[in-house]
Amino acid sequence: MSTEAAITIQRLSKSYQESGQRHQIFKDLNLQVSIGEFIVLLGRSGSGKSTFLNLVSGIDQPDSGEIIINGIQLTGLSEHDRTLFRRHHIGFVFQAYNLISTLTVGENLLLPLELIKRTSRQERDTVAKLLDQLDLADRFDTYPDRLSGGEQQRVAIARALVHDPDVILADEPTGNLDLDTGQQVLALFDTLVKNAGKTLIMVTHSPEVLGKADRVFSIRNKSLADARDGVYAASLSGTGAAVEG
Amino acid sequence: MSSVLNRASRNFLWRHPWQLALAIVGIALGVAVVISIDLAMESSLSAFDQAGKAFSGVATHRIIAGDGGLDEKLYRRLRVDEGIQKLSPVVNGYVFMSKQTDAGFNLIGIDPFVEKSFQSIWQIRKNKNTSAGLLTRLVTELNTALISEQTASRLGLNIEDDLTIDTDHGERRLKIIGLLSPNNAVSEQVLSRLIVTDIATAQEVLEMFGRLSSIEVLIDKYQPAAYTPSLAIAAPVPDRLAAYTPSLEIIRKALPGNALLVEAESQSQAMREMTRAFSINLKALGLLSLLVGMFLIYNTMTFLVMQRRRLIGSLRSIGVTRRQIFKLIIGEALLLATIGTLIGIVLGIALGQGLLYLISGTINAIYFRIDVASLTITPLQIGKGALLGITATLLAVLPPAFEATRISPVTVLVRSQLESGIRRLIKAANLISGVFILGGMALALWSGKSIALGLASIFVLLFGFAMMTPALTLMFMKLIERVFGRLSGILVRLPVRMVSAEISRTGVAIAALMIAVSATIGMDLMIGSFRQTVADWVQTSLRADLYVSLPGEKMPDARAEQDQRLKAKLAELQDVKMLSSVLHTNTAIARDGVYAEAGAAAENNFTKVSVFELNEKSRPGFIFKHKTDNELWDRFEQQQTVIVTEPYAYHQGVKIGDKIRLQTDQGSEPFEVLGIYADYSGDQGHLAMSRRNYRHYWPDLGYSGIGVYAKDGVDLQQLENQINKLLTGQQSVQSDQALYKASMAVFEQTFTITETLRWLSAAIAFVGVFSALMALQFERTRQLGILRAIGITSGQLTVLITGETALMGLVAGLIAVPVGYIVAYMLIFVIYQRSFGWTMAFHFNPGVIYQGLALALIAATLAGILPALKMAQTKPAEALRSE
Repeated sequence: MSTEAAITIQRLSKSYQESGQRHQIFKDLNLQVSIGEFIVLLGRSGSGKSTFLNLVSGIDQPDSGEIIINGIQLTGLSEHDRTLFRRHHIGFVFQAYNLISTLTVGENLLLPLELIKRTSRQERDTVAKLLDQLDLADRFDTYPDRLSGGEQQRVAIARALVHDPDVILADEPTGNLDLDTGQQVLALFDTLVKNAGKTLIMVTHSPEVLGKADRVFSIRNKSLADARDGVYAASLSGTGAAVEG
Repeated sequence: MSSVLNRASRNFLWRHPWQLALAIVGIALGVAVVISIDLAMESSLSAFDQAGKAFSGVATHRIIAGDGGLDEKLYRRLRVDEGIQKLSPVVNGYVFMSKQTDAGFNLIGIDPFVEKSFQSIWQIRKNKNTSAGLLTRLVTELNTALISEQTASRLGLNIEDDLTIDTDHGERRLKIIGLLSPNNAVSEQVLSRLIVTDIATAQEVLEMFGRLSSIEVLIDKYQPAAYTPSLAIAAPVPDRLAAYTPSLEIIRKALPGNALLVEAESQSQAMREMTRAFSINLKALGLLSLLVGMFLIYNTMTFLVMQRRRLIGSLRSIGVTRRQIFKLIIGEALLLATIGTLIGIVLGIALGQGLLYLISGTINAIYFRIDVASLTITPLQIGKGALLGITATLLAVLPPAFEATRISPVTVLVRSQLESGIRRLIKAANLISGVFILGGMALALWSGKSIALGLASIFVLLFGFAMMTPALTLMFMKLIERVFGRLSGILVRLPVRMVSAEISRTGVAIAALMIAVSATIGMDLMIGSFRQTVADWVQTSLRADLYVSLPGEKMPDARAEQDQRLKAKLAELQDVKMLSSVLHTNTAIARDGVYAEAGAAAENNFTKVSVFELNEKSRPGFIFKHKTDNELWDRFEQQQTVIVTEPYAYHQGVKIGDKIRLQTDQGSEPFEVLGIYADYSGDQGHLAMSRRNYRHYWPDLGYSGIGVYAKDGVDLQQLENQINKLLTGQQSVQSDQALYKASMAVFEQTFTITETLRWLSAAIAFVGVFSALMALQFERTRQLGILRAIGITSGQLTVLITGETALMGLVAGLIAVPVGYIVAYMLIFVIYQRSFGWTMAFHFNPGVIYQGLALALIAATLAGILPALKMAQTKPAEALRSE
């Protein structure tokens, strides 16, 4: 892990208008994430975890504050430029996998490469190798709906990594998986993301992950709070087990 | 049903206002087109009925005659000599307002003191203006008239003002001595186009000296048949007429050869029979719009069901039964149908007003004279439209309603499973579509002369092809991917995949568009073929250099002599080599004729006859439908023969060698059919005989047209000017090219209504595609959000979605081209032949294919732009949150 800042968030505020009422999600939130750092984000349902990831990826816009990734001021970019930024620098893994159902597994992985104009034969080999690493070598031409949940999530991780982004954002990647499959997926994050030196922010309820994270935060009082004491995390996970820092 | 359940359904509908609105628009447009055609057609025809009632009132019978009218002595003979009191003489004809572009007026000359029991529309009771004093003035003062208050106000005229009118014989002035005030909407409409005078004035204005147009007859229904039992026994008639028999037989015996006694309503029936084919064809176009609209309704309701799979699954899991779900969906559909139908009725009335002028214009151009001022709306027509709208909606909603009941409370189907289920259905639909297509063809082959069955066969065929469309779409997409897939990137492949992956939605939209475009291609090819055939026919028929037209009522004696003098003057012109002539008249079919029992002809009483005076140059202008020899023209001139037009031969089942008996002044005479020739001037057809033949049996009625053949090298413009100097106001001379242009203009006018309706159904298809695409994009909001999340820009997304819709349009167009050809073939060789008796050559026009393809492509692309932009503007974060 480098001490150089990969992500800098300053005085970030975000609110939603719902049923005529304004709901404040974040207020003056600050965070600095170093290159290669693994951040885990905890929080009750509706606390704003997914919103946080959407803001970091540029999918959503804050009301105020700054998000700087690799020196690029994300909040100052237009919607179009944020999209271009995302396709180069961000890899996203969703809880519901969110693979493109009309594309095969191979095509799902080739799409992010095509978007950054990497369309050579070599890229196809890269995809094939990646799938091989994920034990999905024979699924290149298979459509996502033919895969199990675990397989789909592995493809989703591969899609998030294939174009070699700087930051990986994972939104409850094991939320839809059984315990064993969830652990396999987490192991993949370990080998493919952390070992590759990628910056990773993961929203999860899984206690196993907490031990591997560099820092653990929870969203409390519209801001991020260090959740290393474990009590909060344990209460969230429902296991009752203390979480080690 | 539970109100909470209803609320769950209602809330869902409110949250999808676009879909709700589009479904209502679909129903409304379908209903509007059907209602508007019905209203406009019925209004046009009832205008004819009402105009008749203006002077016939409650008359039971009418004595009518062919051209030349009735001798007024007949009226006196029947009334005085035969003692038949309830008779009312009528002289009528069309006149125009001078210096007004307004439509024509029906000038009716009546005897105002005749038997009051006729209750004609002009005889409005308690009308101060029809007081005895005024009526006396109408009879005693020549050139006096009554018009309606509305007409007077429209023309800015008052009592004692002069009304200047144009007749076939020049300008006339009539003094308005009173205003008629209508007492209801019907009489207002009729009176608005009526000028009432006495008999003498009408005869003078219309130059019908000593002639009557008709005599209205009122026979007392309770007159005992026993008055003259010998007559009743001698000529047995149906029971219904038994009571009338004595007076009717007396009248019949007194009638001259060119006159007929008909039931008052029979003319109206004959007129309806005459326009039946036209009416059926128009209504079929309306139903086509409704069929396309049904696809739209089906699509929307399917969307509304699919979107609620989770909701319905949840409802089922807490104990809501299949029946309740079914009722819920049907209830929703009923609500939508009611709203859509109500809007459709209002729209239909507005649209009907526009179509009224087109339809009445076409009837005027090819059938008979009608004047229509406004739409006549009856509860029956509105009821029919409402029933049709609601039935069509419920039929379209049945499949999705059943689908909703099949949703399991345990597992809510995922989209891909649903699509694979649909694919199985597509395979089944493919098989069924084959049955429909073969069935449609069989129906066309074995439906005899029935136009309705012929049109039904086109509908069945179209429906068959529509059912086959999803399978063909999948095939096309596979092919496109195979050909271009390897060469192109994923972003290019994605739209192709999107079309096939969501075939349950895209297939319906493509099918609806395909139907509309194929109907357009079919009609385009048919109209093009017809246009070419008519153009060839007109060119071949126009053999003379100049044509003199002599319009107006054809009368014997003085009027005929005027025509003869004109012809003699034309022949004397130095530059004229020779002349030909034609008289268009009508002649009674003999009651003992070959068609006396054949329905239409016997009921119709009269047949049109063209009386020709031909020369060696004009004879090749006839295109015979069979081989002819030189003898034909000799026999045509010398013997008691006729040639018949193709529609006449078709409708009456006449063959060469048959004998047609015509009522002449010397009794019933047989005329042998020598040949059948092409004629596209009308769809009822007519007979043609030589002038020599005609003059042998009927009085001279002058000419309708004279063909002028100039000597070689003559300046035709100069000759035209010379001829013009010989003509009176209404007569005209035109070159063959001007006449050709005028004929083609009439042709185009008659197809305006078809073109309009065709575009209407295309517009409904457009709404259908638009609705389907909107639904599709709403459904895949989340998926589009994912694409945005992984870095696809909003611009790329717009291109992606528009690309998909363009592909859908392309497929619809590609399928529509061959289907359109089949439709054209059916229209030309089945429908038009059955409807009108015309045969025409199939003229291939490659431009129509490109136009059809372009139409489908542009319509689909345009329909896709708004959904694409809407989706592109949706924030990715919101899209990802959507279900």
